Amino acid sequence: MIELQNVTKRYPGNRDALTQLDLVLKRGEMAFLTGPSGAGKSTLLKLIAAIERPTRGRILINQKNITHIPKRKIPNLRRFMGIVFQDHHLLYDRSVFDNVSLPLQIAGYTRAEISRRVRAALDKVALLNKEKAMPITLSGGEQQRVGIARAVVHKPAILLADEPTGNLDPGLSAEIMQLFSEFNQVGVTVLIASHDLDLISRLGRRIIRLQGGQRINGQAQQA
Amino acid sequence: MKGSRRRPSPSRPNSLTRLRALVREHLRSLVFSLGKLYRHPFASTLTILVIAVALALPACMYLLLDNLQAVTEKWDDTGQITLFLDSDSSEAEIGKLREQLATLEEIESIRYVSAEQALAEFRSLSKLEYLIEGLEENPLPPTLTLTPFEQAKQAGHLDRLVQELGTFAQVEQVQLDMQWLQRLQAITVVVHRAIMMLGITLAISVLLVVGNSIRLDIENRREEIEVAKLIGATNRFVRRPFLYGGMWYGLLGGGLALLLVLLVMYVIEAPAQHLIGLYNSNFELIFPDLRQGLALVATSIVLGLLGSWLAVGRHIVRIEPS
Repeated sequence: MIELQNVTKRYPGNRDALTQLDLVLKRGEMAFLTGPSGAGKSTLLKLIAAIERPTRGRILINQKNITHIPKRKIPNLRRFMGIVFQDHHLLYDRSVFDNVSLPLQIAGYTRAEISRRVRAALDKVALLNKEKAMPITLSGGEQQRVGIARAVVHKPAILLADEPTGNLDPGLSAEIMQLFSEFNQVGVTVLIASHDLDLISRLGRRIIRLQGGQRINGQAQQA
Repeated sequence: MKGSRRRPSPSRPNSLTRLRALVREHLRSLVFSLGKLYRHPFASTLTILVIAVALALPACMYLLLDNLQAVTEKWDDTGQITLFLDSDSSEAEIGKLREQLATLEEIESIRYVSAEQALAEFRSLSKLEYLIEGLEENPLPPTLTLTPFEQAKQAGHLDRLVQELGTFAQVEQVQLDMQWLQRLQAITVVVHRAIMMLGITLAISVLLVVGNSIRLDIENRREEIEVAKLIGATNRFVRRPFLYGGMWYGLLGGGLALLLVLLVMYVIEAPAQHLIGLYNSNFELIFPDLRQGLALVATSIVLGLLGSWLAVGRHIVRIEPS
């Protein structure tokens, strides 16, 4: 589903953020991306979401080469995935419902369909009772769950998350990871960048370790 | 995904529901962008006021000029040719002249004022009776006042007619009452040009004002744009509310400009009617009609859209998530 072949990413004037990286994530797989700050976790996710482009190498999403994807095709690529950010990236001038419905509005769903799907997504993250609330009135954990609902509301095939538990306490973090596991169980390919090694090693999923832009320990750790 | 025709998720909307969704999305942008203006009342009001004043100014000037032209057109009716006849002409000679003039195809009607009638008229209009009493003989000549047909009133035509009239034996002097009118009309053409140039200049300023407001709006919502793009919004989707925002600026600014114009007209109506009354005219002040009002608002909307389009064009494409 996600395949990186010999990918190097160099930002202008810096050393390589990623160096000759190979990575394959199969359809329906769930994996964690870990390593110290500056290891290239975020860069890797940005490459997959076509926020950045690789300096060298090839990236394939769903067997399609997106290495040199034209700008006008990027929106369609992004609708194929859901992205969860550490700082939620919610829009604070509109309600929870409107935030979660944004991907569906963009894709042109009917109002009834939007309503149905948004409620289903909010129900999944246990925030159905907060649909009319403004995001600013919610706790950090709740805001992150709104962000997750928005990332999955359009039923993406791929779910990417960049430090989704970065600002949360251990209990909430475990809940959030549990949510991701549930999405994975219904067939979504999930890739989560996290430096919370304690937490992710307990989940028994594949862990991809990065350091200085390279894989340092490639073998899968299966449960 | 990535532009392939294949549907990335199983229940993507079909083309009809997508069209309906597009219409709905346009409506949503329309309402949303109006809501944005409402939520930033100070900035919006300022922008709308600037637009209104910039459009009302040339519109008012144009309307005043329009009125001036209408007044002079009314005076065209009295645009006549006066023939001052030889004081020694006999009634018979004058009668013969009138017959000759009546055969000219340019002349619609002829009014004869004898020397005696002219004196009587002068006496009744002026307060100089004692002066007139002292005169030994009537200094006023008999006159023929000719009204040319409308078609004959073009400048070149009239000049020829005036020359022709001068050749008649009893005619001492031909006076064309329209010369000053032609000068006035020439002046109005110049003023018209000036107003047009002023209007164009102010229209450009409206473009820039709207463009700048929208640009600031885009800057303020940079994060929102980045988020929308991250979850798959096309440039077109992101652009839409801003374009509608510009349209609202145009509509509200244009509407306010129209109100300002009407206000100005009502304020000057009474003194203008008084002035017109002093000229013994029954002219009525022309207010902008529905068509002109709509034209003003439509122009404003087009300027608003164009201004926002200029701001949005390159700006939104450049905002990318990082």
